Amino acid sequence: MIELKNIEKYYANKGVKSYILRHVTASIKQGEFVSIMGPSGAGKSTLLNILGMLEEPTYGQYEFMGEDITSLNERKRIELYRNHIGFVFQAYHLIDEMTVAENIEAPLLYKKVSGAERKSRVADVLDRFNMVAKKDLFPNQLSGGQQQLVGIARALVAQPSVILADEPTGNLQSAQALQIMDLFKKLNQEEGITIIQVTHSEVNAGYGSRILHLLDGVIKEDVTVEQTV
Amino acid sequence: MFRLNLKIALRNLWKNKSFTLINIGGLSIGLASCMILLLYVKYEWGYDKQFTNYKNTYIIYTNHDTGTDKTSYAWTPALLAPELKAKIPGVKYASHSSYPEAHLIGNGENSFKTNAVFADNDFLKMLDYKFLQGNPDQALQKVNTVILTATLAKRLFGNEDPINRSVKLDNQDVLKVEAVIADLPKNSSIQFEYLLPWVLFENKNPWMKDAGWQAMICLTMLQLDDEKTFGAASQLIKSIYERSDPKSGNEALLHPLSKWHLYADFQNGKSVGGKISQVKTFFLLAFCILLIACVNFMNLSTAKSEKRAKEVGVRKVIGSTRKMLIAQFIVESFLLTILGLILAFILIEASIPYFNQLLNTDLIIDYTDWTSWTALMVLTLFTGLIAGSYPAFFLSSFEPVKVLKGFGKAGGSSLPVRKILVVFQFVFAACLIICTTVIYQQINYIKDKPIGYNKDNLMEINLVGALQGEGKFKLLKEQLLKTGSVTSVASFSRSINRMGQRAFNISWPGKPKNGDILFNYRFAGYDFIKTIDAGIIMGRDFSANFNDEKNVLLNQTAVKVMGLKHPVGSMIKWGDGNVTIVGVVKDFVIESPFEKTLPMIIGHNDNNSAVAVLRLSPDQNLSNSIAQIDAVVNGINPGFPVERKFVNDNFEEKFNNEKQLGIVANWFGGFAIFISCLGLLGLALYMAEQRKKEISIRKVLGASNINILSLLNKDFIKLVAIANLIAFPAAYVIVSKWLSNYDFRVPITLIPFCAALLISLVIASLTVSIQSVKVAKSNPVDALKYE
Ligand SMILES: Nc1ncnc2c1ncn2[C@@H]1O[C@H](COP(=O)(O)OP(=O)(O)O)[C@@H](O)[C@H]1O
Ligand SMILES: [Mg+2]
Repeated sequence: MIELKNIEKYYANKGVKSYILRHVTASIKQGEFVSIMGPSGAGKSTLLNILGMLEEPTYGQYEFMGEDITSLNERKRIELYRNHIGFVFQAYHLIDEMTVAENIEAPLLYKKVSGAERKSRVADVLDRFNMVAKKDLFPNQLSGGQQQLVGIARALVAQPSVILADEPTGNLQSAQALQIMDLFKKLNQEEGITIIQVTHSEVNAGYGSRILHLLDGVIKEDVTVEQTV
Repeated sequence: MFRLNLKIALRNLWKNKSFTLINIGGLSIGLASCMILLLYVKYEWGYDKQFTNYKNTYIIYTNHDTGTDKTSYAWTPALLAPELKAKIPGVKYASHSSYPEAHLIGNGENSFKTNAVFADNDFLKMLDYKFLQGNPDQALQKVNTVILTATLAKRLFGNEDPINRSVKLDNQDVLKVEAVIADLPKNSSIQFEYLLPWVLFENKNPWMKDAGWQAMICLTMLQLDDEKTFGAASQLIKSIYERSDPKSGNEALLHPLSKWHLYADFQNGKSVGGKISQVKTFFLLAFCILLIACVNFMNLSTAKSEKRAKEVGVRKVIGSTRKMLIAQFIVESFLLTILGLILAFILIEASIPYFNQLLNTDLIIDYTDWTSWTALMVLTLFTGLIAGSYPAFFLSSFEPVKVLKGFGKAGGSSLPVRKILVVFQFVFAACLIICTTVIYQQINYIKDKPIGYNKDNLMEINLVGALQGEGKFKLLKEQLLKTGSVTSVASFSRSINRMGQRAFNISWPGKPKNGDILFNYRFAGYDFIKTIDAGIIMGRDFSANFNDEKNVLLNQTAVKVMGLKHPVGSMIKWGDGNVTIVGVVKDFVIESPFEKTLPMIIGHNDNNSAVAVLRLSPDQNLSNSIAQIDAVVNGINPGFPVERKFVNDNFEEKFNNEKQLGIVANWFGGFAIFISCLGLLGLALYMAEQRKKEISIRKVLGASNINILSLLNKDFIKLVAIANLIAFPAAYVIVSKWLSNYDFRVPITLIPFCAALLISLVIASLTVSIQSVKVAKSNPVDALKYE
């Protein structure tokens, strides 16, 4: 579903090019659970942003579900956001002025889902994440782990084909982190949602099926995880 | 979607209460100021336009050639109206009428002194006042009739039917009420409470019969059949004086009724504007203030951008288009605008009585008038769009990756734009401060300018009723002087500060042909110059020791324009008689203190005067003196209330126009400054937020609160100073243009400019300090912890 060919990314600063990504070529299939690992500054976030079309590569080819992304217009991209891509952020990035339920409902509004359908889907998700009691609270009334659950719920509610998560557990304690990872794994296995996450933790990476090791903008290793669990 | 946007907008507003308050506050003051000014402009613009055919109605002006240029005034001979109607084709109606003057009207028990106009039936044809009772077609034809306004009818007769009841005019003429008209709108140039027939005017002033073409004694108004006849008619009318009175050198000019109020200034026989420029200024001011409020709004909304950036980023990655975001921000700005509008209405309704009193107007919000609603809608839309568009486009342009990556500064910084906006606001504010200062300087300058006589402790008593009788003035004078409250008394033919009584009919040895000069003429009794304390340059005052019946006084200007080498003792001609100059008086101001004094001739007459001028004794207690004076006047003239006025108060009235301008400039300048300061506060909030980290680090490194404060305030001071520099030349141009309207004007000094600089700097630094003190005093850990 995702094809990267020879992706390059650099920033030119006073004529000096500083490369962030070099010759990145990878292919990710529907239903995979990929973890991107590497030291700080290796270009992990940049790669994920390119995958999420938040940034454009300087060179290279990127196909998402058979479509060439480099020639995609704004409209089409927003369509992809609405229907196929869900983002999960390290800092949760919930909208502070909206309640839990409204935050989750927001993508459906943009997707122009009917009111009744929205209600039932939001109710479903809340139920599944055990957050019914919290649906009218505002983000600042929740713990970090709970906020991240809402973040994931928001990414899921529009039934995307892929979830992109940049250090989703970076701000969480390990117990909460494991809960999130369990959830990802379940989503991946039971609903076949493709998951691509950036993580520093070997443990978290262990939940996935494949690890891309990034070092100085180059994919050094591409390993398949032994399913131990 | 819309509902959610609205909900979120409301939550946002509630969460940032201080921002919301500043925003709505600024917006409502801006909107209220704008609407009050627009109401005022509408009011002034509507002057004399209440009448059905106002478009074809004209006021006749007399253009008089003085040799060097032409002077114009709406005074005409009484013979003009009939002549126009008889001889000029296309003239439908022509009326002669007196200028409003207070007369005593009574119902037998109570009497009131209020404004009356003598007019003929054609007057009512042109100015179709609303008749509540009676027939406009037959009104003002019989000599002993009167038309009352509703208020006066009520005052005289309560709820009883006033028609055919009798009233007494000046305790003399018995008149029958033949009609009642609705009260006049305040924005009508001719203001009266009752109308009297012209024939009665002629009866009361028998001399008018042979006054001829030289006596400019009334207002002439005419109506044409339609616009097409204007060209031909005005051409014919122009030379009507020449045909009737070849040597006068006068021309008649048609001035549209609708322009009478706003275009009253004439130069060289042509209308050159007048109050219209003030109205235009106010119109511009209305929008400038609104614009300032909008700028404020932009400033404050974009200042919140840091907070909103994340929301924008998130919304974009969950599928929002830019358009949707713009819509959301516009919804927010309209919400604020509407809240501001509601508050503005409350402000207007609360303040309008005050402004009406201040400006002597009759402004109201007419809730039944669809045009005001349309104007309101347009205003709201305009404000919402102007105020909301920049923040909407700015905020919605944030790129999610930059925001979400936590790179802090989202998008291009909006700071330069905001600085420009603040500079713009303060340019405007500084201009207003300068203009206001100059207006007040000018008023004070004119007030302090010597007026040629001592107006303090000078009182006037109207000589009405029995006081007019033969020998009564002499009696009054004797009795007043006996009380000791008064040191000197003289009669005068007109209240000292009143205009009018002008004539050309003065000739002197060596007067050039066609050299008619417009003179102010008055009649004064003995001791007049002594009473008002004006200076005698040559000769003497009128005095009981001489027979002054055929003697006159001239003022300095008169002597100068006549070119008399040895004025005292010279014989000149006034009308048909010869008079001798016995004294030359220093110029004293009886008309506008802003303009050059006209030549004046003062004849002697101790009877038939309009007022007694009293010099109060400075040694006496004022209320005692007044009581004694009242007693004396009442003793001689029991039927009338004592009409006394201090000359000082009358003199103050000459400044009404300028004072009005000053008040408006002051108030709305104050509002503009206030709103600008709110904007500055917003900018300070933003800057403080942006520099929180920098400040914390500086503090950790050892900077004191004072260091931080000066660091934060420096930038703003610079902005305000730049604004002042831009404002100075602009204000200079405006101010010199305004001053050029006056013969006497205060020189433009540095004071107003320094005042503007100082006031704006002080206010601005106070405003900014509210915020920066908070930041400077904050604990650095709070800011650093979250990085
Ligand atoms: N806009 C930019 N301009 C210049 N350098 C950038 C920019 N964005 C990211 N970088 C650099 O790219 C490198 C990789 O960044 P990132 O992908 O965030 O790394 P990671 O997520 O692996 O820690 C970093 O060294 C960072 O400094
Ligand atoms: Mg990163």
